[in-house]
Amino acid sequence: MHKTYSNKAVITTLVLPGVLTFVFAILAPICLSVYYGFTDYSGLGAYQFVGIDNYKELFKDSGFWLSVRNSLLLAAGFICIQHPLAILTAVILDRMQGKAEGFFRCVYFLPNVISVAVIAYLWKFIYDPNFGLLNNIIKMFGGEGTTNWLGTGTAIWSVLIVLVWHGFGWGMLIYYTGIKNIDPVLYEAASIDGADNKQIFFRITLPLMKPVIQINVTLAIISALKQMETVYLLTNGGPGNETQFLANYLYKQAFQSFRYGYGNAISVIFVLICICATGLLNIVFPKEKEA
Amino acid sequence: MSKKTKVEDNNKKNPLGKIALWIVLLTFAVIQIFPLVWLLDFSVASSNEMFTNGLLIWPETFRFDNYVNAFQNGHVGTYLIHSLVINVLAVVCVLLFSVMMAFACSRMHWKLSKAVLGMIMLGMMIPIHATLLPNYVIYDRLHLTDTLFALLIPYVAFSLPQGLFLTVGFMSSIPREIEEAAVIDGCGVFRIVFTIITPMLKSSLVTVSIMTFLNNWNEFMMASTYLSSPKWKTLPFSVLEFTGLYSSNYAVQFAVMALSAAPMIIIYIILNKQITKGVAMGAVKG
Repeated sequence: MHKTYSNKAVITTLVLPGVLTFVFAILAPICLSVYYGFTDYSGLGAYQFVGIDNYKELFKDSGFWLSVRNSLLLAAGFICIQHPLAILTAVILDRMQGKAEGFFRCVYFLPNVISVAVIAYLWKFIYDPNFGLLNNIIKMFGGEGTTNWLGTGTAIWSVLIVLVWHGFGWGMLIYYTGIKNIDPVLYEAASIDGADNKQIFFRITLPLMKPVIQINVTLAIISALKQMETVYLLTNGGPGNETQFLANYLYKQAFQSFRYGYGNAISVIFVLICICATGLLNIVFPKEKEA
Repeated sequence: MSKKTKVEDNNKKNPLGKIALWIVLLTFAVIQIFPLVWLLDFSVASSNEMFTNGLLIWPETFRFDNYVNAFQNGHVGTYLIHSLVINVLAVVCVLLFSVMMAFACSRMHWKLSKAVLGMIMLGMMIPIHATLLPNYVIYDRLHLTDTLFALLIPYVAFSLPQGLFLTVGFMSSIPREIEEAAVIDGCGVFRIVFTIITPMLKSSLVTVSIMTFLNNWNEFMMASTYLSSPKWKTLPFSVLEFTGLYSSNYAVQFAVMALSAAPMIIIYIILNKQITKGVAMGAVKG
């Protein structure tokens, strides 16, 4: 047993494909990013080492700070708007039976399986000042309905609405599974003791969902930090940098402003922020054994 | 069961409460689904009908030719095949690598097993988009841009951490006695992995497949960075390219959006139960 299980050649063959893919596609690029982050490479031609100039500049760059602010806003939007609504619907859905339950679950999750490309363009049309759905709804209620929703001032909120809308079903589904895992005996006991719906929700459902809530909050914060695709297609960070997010900003710097070196410096900081956030969240929400 | 009966009792006592619950659920359903209904509606209209004040339009003639136009000019067929090839290959690689690595790291005896496992897990924290710039340069130098590998390699790499994590978890619940018997019978490691362990992991591997597929199917940031020729372009490109081509013919744009969303919606409706389970398991264990 021991001999077969410590055969070095076998171990190498088993591990190598995965490790090589990982090193080639994730580890090596990040090391390369660190390298280019110290240069003023434009993407073409020669370049020079500039030490930590890129990083110094980054900390004074308003685009960078706007990106960080927007990520925090998005995380807040997820946690304060999307998740309470998701928990609410999950709890109600749990009381439905048969066909209705499956139908609603399916409808809520549907936007999640649709490509971000479709979602982003769809919302671009919804926000369109000329024939957009949103302005038409406003007109129906007697408003003027000529707002340019992706323009200055409103753009960031428009973007947040899309992201909160798109991820709603995913969050709901995870909460729903969490609720389903609660032992019905507890509800029975509570109702025998005369607890009403409100008490059952706050005393039983919510406390027992704590691990699921922690997981969902962690996922929400991380995905708020990593946001790029929707913003890239919807506004590309504009107008100005009002709706900028880190990933989009580094991409823009490298491929549109031809500051490849600077873009890589942002990449490095971006990775560090994500790792720190994950680490921090694991400390705040220690993993419970039965999650 | 007892919970359900209790709730039913409550509902019988309080029909107003039940109506309120239905209203809440329906409101959310409308919010989630109406934009998609709007998309479908406009996709069969003609472009000049769109400038109305109503929410939905009843087109004078249903313009199903929008879809024919969209299918042909949006290269939907070709791009769909590319997407299928790349994603199926990615799922196969992720499954294969995850099972092999999970076995080596959690069952076999070697010093670096925990270190290797930890390193791959670290990949879950790395944001995909941070590798866009360096990978572009790497693939460009190695002449990998515009090839299948430019997408396959990063797709596999970024799905591997979660796949491995889930597989290690499931594997730990398989009793070792079965393997011990096999080893005594002179069975080699590869045969143990592929003929004994893998079949026992079947339902968990379904979860890994679903997560990998969901994560990669709609990806387009890497695709639009590493691909410039139509040789391997994936389905999201139908939408991305079309908006430039037909910037004034909105109705056809709606049609191409509906078309490119359709395959995944169909898959979702068919595999609804498995996907629901997969997402929940993937999140809770990941």
